[in-house]
Amino acid sequence: MMMRKIQLPFTQTQKVRYERAIERLQSLSSTVNSDASVIVTDTIPVNHEDAFLKGHGTSEVDGELLATVCGVVERVDKLVYVRTLRARYKPEVGDIVVGRVIEVAQKRWRVELNFTQDGVLMLSSMNMPDGSQRRRTSVDELNMRNIFVEHDVVCAEVRSIQHDGSLQLHARSQKYGKLEKGQLLKVDPYLVKRSKHHFHYIESLGIDLIIGCNGFIWVGEHVEVRDPVMMIDDQKDAEMISSSSSTKEQSHTPLETRQNICRIGNAIRVLSNLGFTVTVEVITETLNLSNSKNIDIHNMLGSEFHVVVAENEAERRREKRKK
Amino acid sequence: MSVCVVMVACSVGEQHFLKGGIAQELRTDGRKRLTYRHTYVKTGVIPQANGSARVRIGGTDVIASVKAEIGRPSSLQPDKGKVAVFIDCSPTAEPTFGGRGGEELSSDLALALQTCLLGGKSGAGAGINLSSLLIKEGRVCWDLYIDGLVISSDGNLLDALSAAIKAALTNTALPKVQVSAEVADDEQPEIDISDEEYQQFDTSSVPVVVTLTKVGEHYIVDATEEEESQMSSAVSISVNRTGHICGLTKRGGFGLDPSVILDMISVAKHVSESLMNKLDSKISAAEACEDDGKEHNKLHERIVISFGRRD
Repeated sequence: MMMRKIQLPFTQTQKVRYERAIERLQSLSSTVNSDASVIVTDTIPVNHEDAFLKGHGTSEVDGELLATVCGVVERVDKLVYVRTLRARYKPEVGDIVVGRVIEVAQKRWRVELNFTQDGVLMLSSMNMPDGSQRRRTSVDELNMRNIFVEHDVVCAEVRSIQHDGSLQLHARSQKYGKLEKGQLLKVDPYLVKRSKHHFHYIESLGIDLIIGCNGFIWVGEHVEVRDPVMMIDDQKDAEMISSSSSTKEQSHTPLETRQNICRIGNAIRVLSNLGFTVTVEVITETLNLSNSKNIDIHNMLGSEFHVVVAENEAERRREKRKK
Repeated sequence: MSVCVVMVACSVGEQHFLKGGIAQELRTDGRKRLTYRHTYVKTGVIPQANGSARVRIGGTDVIASVKAEIGRPSSLQPDKGKVAVFIDCSPTAEPTFGGRGGEELSSDLALALQTCLLGGKSGAGAGINLSSLLIKEGRVCWDLYIDGLVISSDGNLLDALSAAIKAALTNTALPKVQVSAEVADDEQPEIDISDEEYQQFDTSSVPVVVTLTKVGEHYIVDATEEEESQMSSAVSISVNRTGHICGLTKRGGFGLDPSVILDMISVAKHVSESLMNKLDSKISAAEACEDDGKEHNKLHERIVISFGRRD
């Protein structure tokens, strides 16, 4: 666990409690790899008789191998490199990502992903609105704006990484696509670990939570995943309804769901400030903590709640350790 | 006069969610319409300046500094000192502020703050008493240069800057000046600036600025950048302790009915009371903290970086 300077000002007692919680968390984390942690200009222990390859983050000075970045030393066969902890998002094929459309180009959409390059979502990698499987025609290309426009938030999967480093995305399943009725949160990419499930539907609250591997997290009202066959009939009904209510306001999110969305959003912000890994368990834990202590939604962003969450996390990890 | 602040990308769905939240009195971070974000004040951040303060409201971070120099009063107003306000929007806040990008915004903010602090041309309604800056009539006076720097921008810059200026002025200590009495008319008198004795600046009449942003049919206080991108118009009202209005600025492309503006003014007066009290208590706490720090000579922020196994 990497600790960093926290931006909130604490009172004296809060500072003491916070530092004690962080110390407990550090002592709980295993010390197996502590030898592998290096900071800049540390010597990396290498057997000079074996041939080895100098990877990223290393440099040979005066016959010794020094680290040029702060991180953890990794060895893969003969390659020795230093993996930084606060790196940019490093994509892998099959990652679920959440991004924002920045451009509608010829037969593709460009999506901003908090990565060095923009992701590309081809028109052919996207399901047609009427659910049919067919070749995309020029009419489809002209109607691309009916699917996604600029600034839309979309959820997609990484299909492949091109040779120049850019990402190809696809959104072929019904659970991918445009995200509405909610808010997008940004955390540092290294706080999101790859796991089996990135789509979470919290039934008790009626909320969809999508944790993108690139650090973008979507919290929103639950949307039923619809069967494409049924969509053809629904589409006709939807057209009739939308034309009549285009001037009327759409229905707003119910207040209780909105409160839950705000609470989860604030829980994620608190975890991001503290530098804790963001997973569904930790988020629901923080949420229950705020509910049990009857903390006002806005006060979750205050210094006191941050200290409480840090202490609670230390407790939780200690409990897990004992088991 | 409207300044186009950087547009935050917001999809139609997100906009709808935002507006719905404001209508239902539950904004995206859980605040009510008239609640401010958590505000943090720290004074004395620039030791070389006569007074300085750093104010953080949510994601907006600004620093204000006050430098005092000996100068000559203008011939039109020989019994008053001079105050000048400059604002700089740093490119660290937004990449578009680099080069000349932030100039328009900076000059707009500076003008609004100057109006709030110094009142009209005749000096009526000024928050700072310019006569208190006088040392010798017609000859010697204090020139105050108030500088504001925007380090991080997340909406509501004007409120943050006015709070920072108020805190910096409270932190300002002007050295006592001895002027030699006998001197000819066209000669500059000799000035002796004391190193030991200081007088604190009187800031009881300095106003605070409350910006009300109209989104849809409701007004919100302390808008984030997202909320500002959805506004139709915003009115910034500066109110002082006695409840008098010292300045009024409107931004935004949409027009407002006069009754709406009057309503906004009454809402702003109501909000400014609690804001003024909270701000004053935070400033005095920051001043007390700074004094403690000077006494014990402790280092302020320490960066603690440690490594462990990543779990």
